[in-house]
Amino acid sequence: MTAVIDQVTSALLEVRDLEVEFDTYGGTVRAVRGVSFEVHAGKTLAIVGESGCGKSVTVQSIMGLIPSPPGRIVGGTAKLRGKEIVDGVTADGEIVRGSRIGMIFQDPMTSLNPTMTIGDQIAETLQVHRGFSHSQALRLAVELLEMTRINEPSRRARQYPFEFSGGMLQRSMIAMAIACRPSILIADEPTTALDVTIQSQILDLLRDLQQENNMAIVLITHDLGVVARMADEVAVMYAGEFLETGTADDIFYNSAHPYTVGLRAAMPTNRDESEQDLMPIDGSPPDLFAPPPGCAYFARCPHAMEACRNDPPPGFAVGSGHMTRCWLHHADCSRRIEDLHYAAAAPLEGRDA
Amino acid sequence: MILYTIKRLIQGVITVWFIATATFFAMHGVPGDPLMTDKAMSEEVRKNLDAHYGFDQPKWKQYGIYIGHMVQGDFGISFAQENRRVNDILWEHFPVSAFLGILAITFAGLGGILFGALTARYRNRMPDIVIMFLVILGISVPSFVFAALGQLALVKLNAFFGTSILPVAGWGTLSHMIAPSLVLGLGTMAFLTRLMRSSMLEIVSSDYVRTARSKGLPTTRIFLRHELRNAILPVVTVLGPSIAAITTGGFVVELVFAIPGLGRYFVQAVQQLDYTVIMGTTVFYGAFLVFMVIVVDLLYGLIDPRVRLE
Amino acid sequence: MNAALSFRPIVAERDVEVISRPSLSYWRDAWIRLKANRRALVSLYIVIALGLFTVVGPWLPFVPNHSAQDLDQISSPPGADRTATIVEPYVPWSGVTVNAPGGQAPLEAPASVSLAGEATTQAVRIFWDPVRGAHGYRIYRNIAHPAPDDALGMPLADVLVPSRVSFEDRLDIKPQEYFYSVVPLDRNGREAPVYATLDVSAIRVITAEEAVKRGLAGSTADLAIGDQVELKLHVLGTDYLGRDMLARLMHGARVSLFIGIVAPFLFILVGILYGSAAGFVGGRVDQVLMRFADFVVALPFLLFMILFRILFKIEGGDSGIAPMLIAMVILSWPAAARLVRGQILQIREEGYISASRLLGAKTPYLVLRHMIPNTMGVILVTITFAVPSAIFTEAFLSFIGMGVAPPTPSWGSMCNEGIKTMLTYPHELIFPALFISITVLAFNLLGDGLRDALDARMRSQE
Repeated sequence: MTAVIDQVTSALLEVRDLEVEFDTYGGTVRAVRGVSFEVHAGKTLAIVGESGCGKSVTVQSIMGLIPSPPGRIVGGTAKLRGKEIVDGVTADGEIVRGSRIGMIFQDPMTSLNPTMTIGDQIAETLQVHRGFSHSQALRLAVELLEMTRINEPSRRARQYPFEFSGGMLQRSMIAMAIACRPSILIADEPTTALDVTIQSQILDLLRDLQQENNMAIVLITHDLGVVARMADEVAVMYAGEFLETGTADDIFYNSAHPYTVGLRAAMPTNRDESEQDLMPIDGSPPDLFAPPPGCAYFARCPHAMEACRNDPPPGFAVGSGHMTRCWLHHADCSRRIEDLHYAAAAPLEGRDA
Repeated sequence: MILYTIKRLIQGVITVWFIATATFFAMHGVPGDPLMTDKAMSEEVRKNLDAHYGFDQPKWKQYGIYIGHMVQGDFGISFAQENRRVNDILWEHFPVSAFLGILAITFAGLGGILFGALTARYRNRMPDIVIMFLVILGISVPSFVFAALGQLALVKLNAFFGTSILPVAGWGTLSHMIAPSLVLGLGTMAFLTRLMRSSMLEIVSSDYVRTARSKGLPTTRIFLRHELRNAILPVVTVLGPSIAAITTGGFVVELVFAIPGLGRYFVQAVQQLDYTVIMGTTVFYGAFLVFMVIVVDLLYGLIDPRVRLE
Repeated sequence: MNAALSFRPIVAERDVEVISRPSLSYWRDAWIRLKANRRALVSLYIVIALGLFTVVGPWLPFVPNHSAQDLDQISSPPGADRTATIVEPYVPWSGVTVNAPGGQAPLEAPASVSLAGEATTQAVRIFWDPVRGAHGYRIYRNIAHPAPDDALGMPLADVLVPSRVSFEDRLDIKPQEYFYSVVPLDRNGREAPVYATLDVSAIRVITAEEAVKRGLAGSTADLAIGDQVELKLHVLGTDYLGRDMLARLMHGARVSLFIGIVAPFLFILVGILYGSAAGFVGGRVDQVLMRFADFVVALPFLLFMILFRILFKIEGGDSGIAPMLIAMVILSWPAAARLVRGQILQIREEGYISASRLLGAKTPYLVLRHMIPNTMGVILVTITFAVPSAIFTEAFLSFIGMGVAPPTPSWGSMCNEGIKTMLTYPHELIFPALFISITVLAFNLLGDGLRDALDARMRSQE
């Protein structure tokens, strides 16, 4: 296997060959199957994929947030500035979750404790990690709320989650996550539950906070629009694997995997000339109880070849820092990436339009 | 909150009025009105009753007199015991029952919360399996069987140690209260344990507990400030009905353990067909339960900001 | 890497979506899920077994009539020895008389107490050595040894003739161990602080005539004195009146299960009618109806059950079952009404109702095809949970003597009778208590299982 990204430099967070399984009544689900990535200061890594592909499990397992049992990490390492972390704690006992890695979640309505004031919930983190007194921490919590652009922060800090709107709750979540000035913020579908105008505000806020603090963001989303707007680097995840990784430009303008191409074709654009219909990807992701022996995307891929059935494709470097797992890039394969882009634009032969 | 309290109190008063009316018409409404025709009473009692209740007057007037007395907190005169006022009976026996009930509900509530949290924490492991087995037993065994078995156990225990560790029956000292209140609280505790467990399990896997963990909080802090407090809320909401269950369970426990409470007195009054005592006690207990439910609801408001601030 | 990789495209052969499972109806699916739940399934079997126990049980050959008394076996626990020895009919005993030795106090205990003849359930005859200066004797009987705290038991009689030093006990003797204590009395009839005790094991005897009369033998000619006969079998023993426990439990089950199952059905039926009326009409009527239901809910349930029971004035011969049913229905319907109304209001707003209406469905069709099937699950679960509480209510009321009237057996009234002899004959309490507990347990677990099977949203977390 080739290296995912050819940088051995100043990665903040470095994850190698992560594997996560869940024991369920139906058997063992291999939710994450050997995922590697790096996160750099001040940059945004977007992990994009369909629901159920293992995006959230990937980051939650690093943070030690997957319920265990049934979940367990069966392989791989995660290093924060070179120090290995397990369940959100470094080997020398430092609790990095909440202090050096902050996290926000999809649904702000249910992600906050309904019987605690917003201020207390933010202050709590500071009390635990920074050893602040309650009043000190509360004062800082008000500042944090102000920083996340909440009006009348001192009054708001004394209120309970049910008195907040969804957008304000997500701002409070962000304030909570950045309270200890973490070097990494993990945002797990931060805008999915919000309406469009609020989405945009939240993304702006994240951007600004990132620039002010030189913070890395790991953004998990299924929305390519959000990816296009936020990401420096992108990992396309499918059935527990990264099918393609690269810079945002690589992914959007130089897609090297049929799945990425499919995702793009399924994404609405605002270009006038595109009169073509949106193209859904037929079928559904494979059963992770028994992952397919070859390429995970085989069953849905319009360009599937015999090699794809039983032989898992390795990572092919298709550019600097641009990797894809697709047999199309094998030297012996006669079909080229250009065909692939063409195929995305026109329906395949033999298929009903 | 104040407005809410006033509203609830007014509702409570109307409900009590309905209970009193239902009791009155239940007693007078059927053919052969027991209050008018019971022969087993002395002439003196009869005269007292006529003077007090206006039995020689038409029904609607009697109702007026009855409600009038109720408003003044006067529950009337006993049928079976000459010249004894129902109020005196209530005053004498209710505190005993109330004390027993308070002990039992405290025991049931604390035990339920503790065991419920414990079972949720050790889900599907030994403590959970053992406690849940006992809980299912506790829910399925009637209170009088607990009372009988409890007493049997005490007899055997005392016989085993050769001395009286806890008295088998009676009332007066703290040692008299322990066994009956445990027995009385057992069923409710089992019920609350079950409720607390499922509430706790729901909350342990809730989004906000995940948030709390993502903040890197210590386990005990998550347990106390995020899990326990929210898990208790549904337990508090059923405390009202639990008080009713414990009150009626008290009848049997008082009977079996020979405790001079209102419950036992009520059962005796029923057996002696002491109608006025039955009516008075019914209305009194009804009012008591209505207001306990209100108290519990207000208490809930104190714990849950969503209710408090509305 | 594999050298023989083939990069030939594949197009047609992949069927992307195949529906691999047949679609199941709601009830079929629920049944499959219920069957997968072992606890619920066992509970279902228990409920069925209880039904058989009640209906078929009384016809089994070893189950006697539930009200027949077996006076030879009173309060006999299950598995007790049933042999009886044939004896002569009772002949009065003249007793033992001596010359009372005179003298002064202090009185001493009799030097010895002895048994005359054999101790049988017919009679126990004892005599003792005279005590110097005693003016009489008091005889006690206990089922436990008097030591250590001098618990002599029940005083049987005073023998107030100093010269008479014997006593014949014929009072309700059971085939068990007894301790007879003799206490000398002084001139004023006061007990001396001393006593002597005799440990006696009575054996069960029966006369030949009685044995024939009870159907234990063909004729008196078949029986000789000293022969052993087997008394009638009582699988679970007998109660304090010698009635067969098993037969009474079966008949008690009729009462308890009848009330436990019929009452919930009735009050839920009333609740459905009332609740759906309120839910459909809506508006003012709905408000008034539901406010009234709220008031009825506030009535203290058991107190009013007792109140109704007093009012119905159960006469001799009445079982008290019908009044209890009526009272239960009067007091219990509001909870069901509230539930049904809530369901109807909720379902009325569901998308599929609007969709059905858009497609031209009329109200009766909506009710039959959508409303009823979609509330059935909730109602079924409610009934299942209402059964144990109704059984509890019956048991509770019967226990405090306010339920079914004796001699009709119900599990609750059997407990009530059993608790009086709890210390000596615990089986009289334990069996009915066990049946109540098992039944309630089975219905509770079945209810849990049904809830899980019928409605994923109500899934319990167990």
